[in-house]
Amino acid sequence: MACTPSVLGFGRPVHGDTTNISQAGLLLIDSGQPDLFYVDIFWSRGLFSSGAVEPLDSYIAKSKVLKTTDITPSLLSAFTYNGKIYGIPKDFNTLALFYNRDMFDVAKAPYPDEKDDWNSLTDKFRKVQAGLPGVYGIALAPEYARMGAFAYAAGFSVFDARGKSSVTGSQFREGFEFYTGLAKKGVGIMPADIGQGWGGGAFAAEKVAACLEGAWVIGFLRDQAPNLNYGATLLPKNPRTGQRGNLIFTVSWSMNAQSKHKQEAFQVLELLTSPEAQQWVLERGLALPSRQALIDNPYFKRADKEAAANYIVFRGASDGNVFPFEFAAYGDDWMTPINQVLSAVMSGEQTVDVALKEAQKRLDELMK
Amino acid sequence: MTEQDRRAGAENRKKLAARRRWAKAAAVYVLLLGFSLLFVGPMAFAMLSSLKDNPVEWPPGLGSPQLSLANWVAAARLGLAGGGTAFFGQFAPGAIVPFSITYEVDEGSEPETPIVRVPRRVPGAGPAAIIAEPFAADDAVVSEVREARRTTTDGVVRVTYEFDITHMGSDMVYGKLPLDIEVPMYQRFVRATLEPNRIERLGRVQSWNNVTSGVIPYVFYNYHRVFRENYSRATGKNLFLAWIRNSFMLAGIKVVTTLVVASMAGYALARLKFAGRKALFNLVLLSMMIPGQVTFVSNYLVLRDGIFGLTKLLGGGSLINTWTGYVVSTMVGGSAVFIMKQFFEGLPTELEESARIDGASVLATYSRIMLPLAGPALGALAILTFQGTWNEFFWPLVILTSPPDKYTLTLGLLSFRTTYAVAFDWGPMLAGTVMSALPIVVMFVVFQRYFVEGISFSGIKG
Repeated sequence: MACTPSVLGFGRPVHGDTTNISQAGLLLIDSGQPDLFYVDIFWSRGLFSSGAVEPLDSYIAKSKVLKTTDITPSLLSAFTYNGKIYGIPKDFNTLALFYNRDMFDVAKAPYPDEKDDWNSLTDKFRKVQAGLPGVYGIALAPEYARMGAFAYAAGFSVFDARGKSSVTGSQFREGFEFYTGLAKKGVGIMPADIGQGWGGGAFAAEKVAACLEGAWVIGFLRDQAPNLNYGATLLPKNPRTGQRGNLIFTVSWSMNAQSKHKQEAFQVLELLTSPEAQQWVLERGLALPSRQALIDNPYFKRADKEAAANYIVFRGASDGNVFPFEFAAYGDDWMTPINQVLSAVMSGEQTVDVALKEAQKRLDELMK
Repeated sequence: MTEQDRRAGAENRKKLAARRRWAKAAAVYVLLLGFSLLFVGPMAFAMLSSLKDNPVEWPPGLGSPQLSLANWVAAARLGLAGGGTAFFGQFAPGAIVPFSITYEVDEGSEPETPIVRVPRRVPGAGPAAIIAEPFAADDAVVSEVREARRTTTDGVVRVTYEFDITHMGSDMVYGKLPLDIEVPMYQRFVRATLEPNRIERLGRVQSWNNVTSGVIPYVFYNYHRVFRENYSRATGKNLFLAWIRNSFMLAGIKVVTTLVVASMAGYALARLKFAGRKALFNLVLLSMMIPGQVTFVSNYLVLRDGIFGLTKLLGGGSLINTWTGYVVSTMVGGSAVFIMKQFFEGLPTELEESARIDGASVLATYSRIMLPLAGPALGALAILTFQGTWNEFFWPLVILTSPPDKYTLTLGLLSFRTTYAVAFDWGPMLAGTVMSALPIVVMFVVFQRYFVEGISFSGIKG
């Protein structure tokens, strides 16, 4: 990347691991903190409302390099708060369905494709299981970060007009029942039940025919299962609405409101989000670019499995009901009740009715 | 009752008592064994797992190809064949690496000659993912794969194939020679010159990370990666070595400052009579009762302003992000002063009285009489301080921020979380953790006695 050390030299990066909440605390008390930092979409609302982050609208207006129209709109709006832009998305991820071609070949089942809806995909998994005993169709982590995509496909939105959430409504229920139903029917399995920490691990170990992950699994597979013959496709459509759902995971570059070098910091930000920088990151297979123009990138047309999978993940951001992975100021607290009942229902400890009622009760308490 | 009966009864009682004694001893031993397994077990298992290709394998096994002597010999031979040494291999110009692999098929089907490839593998995760390295595939040429042997027993045909990988280039020396061998699915893998790191594609592909690694990078693959992959982008220095050095240095400095300050303060509080002594001691106790998390923001601000601007007088600036700031703010702990005070109070006063009669000053009494007697306490304190500093995490995390060259080992391991663990690459993480625990384990074994004494002096740890 074309950054001269003198430009980067003025700021002190903090530990990548500091959560944004404690980061906000340090930003507010210490002017010696870095001028630019990452903001994960998940924590963004709390950080933006704290006043620790500089709005970037006036800088972008004057910039010759960075235009708001350059950036994928759904990503930019994810970092817009109260009408102001607080961060420029650095890269992003969505969910895709990764599948093991060998397993589908051996079982003589057709590969999953973009035309699949929930039912046809389930049938394909069943065929794989029939041809390959001992293998599960799909790894299903008991997490909203996966299951949410199916609720969105059914038309669920996290907050209604009054800012409340209803998980007992029919739309959420449809996604929840499908997802947990896959596990109860034995088509899917929780990774923990086969000694794996996550879906990608189960996929690499060839214990499942498919998993729901983002582009992060590509680098993992490159190291742990370099020869795995996989493909990727968009998530299946909901048979009733005909829509897909998806989540966007993204991180922005944002500026410290107390920075003493705001102009210089913005110049660095321009470099970091420049087409050249994003092209480099994309070609190394590290992350997907936030600039819309890069969808026509020759990289995506390459005939290798990684480029093809990256392209699917890239397209996931603009197909169907797609929402950023954030829950206003509630953060983790919003997901916790749902993750807990997901796990309880999938392991057969609770019925869907009881589980959703319990989750709703806890959400109501949270959002009082 | 006859004499005989009485004698038999007594004998029986004796036997019973002996049995009871044995039972008791056995119970104690079993209990001790159980406890030591409980404490040593996780560490031993972490060490074992850190050697495995898949550290989180399930179900976890006690064996690993990295522990087999046959593989060590093979790794050494292949390392030499690649042009390196038996311990650290490479793939150098002129090298001819012989390799053989055996498969079996059921009688009736004809085994196929395997397809051998030297792949271009780009690391997908961790710091290695952004280091561009040359590919051995550019210079490696695989010879024709020859069938060497064929045997048929009990309806199973076993075939061994042989081939060589030759370095045809003129000057490039490669650190790694990865290998993939592919066969049809009905052909089952039996054994190879070196056991493969993984078997993929439902048994179709045998895959090696580096066939010419030599023994050390083969057995300690993850350890080797920790050292090889972590270089500072600011200075180009090896980060892991720098972290180990930093931790040793800071722990060493803190041991010295703690011993000096705590022994002097402890002596003063134990023996010297001055106004406010009780209050001062209470303050020391109070400082032990407040957790660091409560005071860290105010301590941070004090360091940021250079201890109320004092450093500015000396030409310095903020103490944040400096080792000086870390050492100054943690020079001595209340518990260290407490340990020393308790110890000095336990020594007989006659010693000092006679010293005073001989005309020794307070300083001379302290340094010539009392300090030499305090050996055991100082030893215990030194070990506890070293261990405490080595493992300290929270406060260094707050004040030492960048560049990574400045981190202590604990902070470095945290940075592994964002480089390796986010990509579910647990091997280097585990290797780093084991290495960070080793100095303390060694110290514990060597200075066991002092550890125990340290605890009995203070009744508290650290």
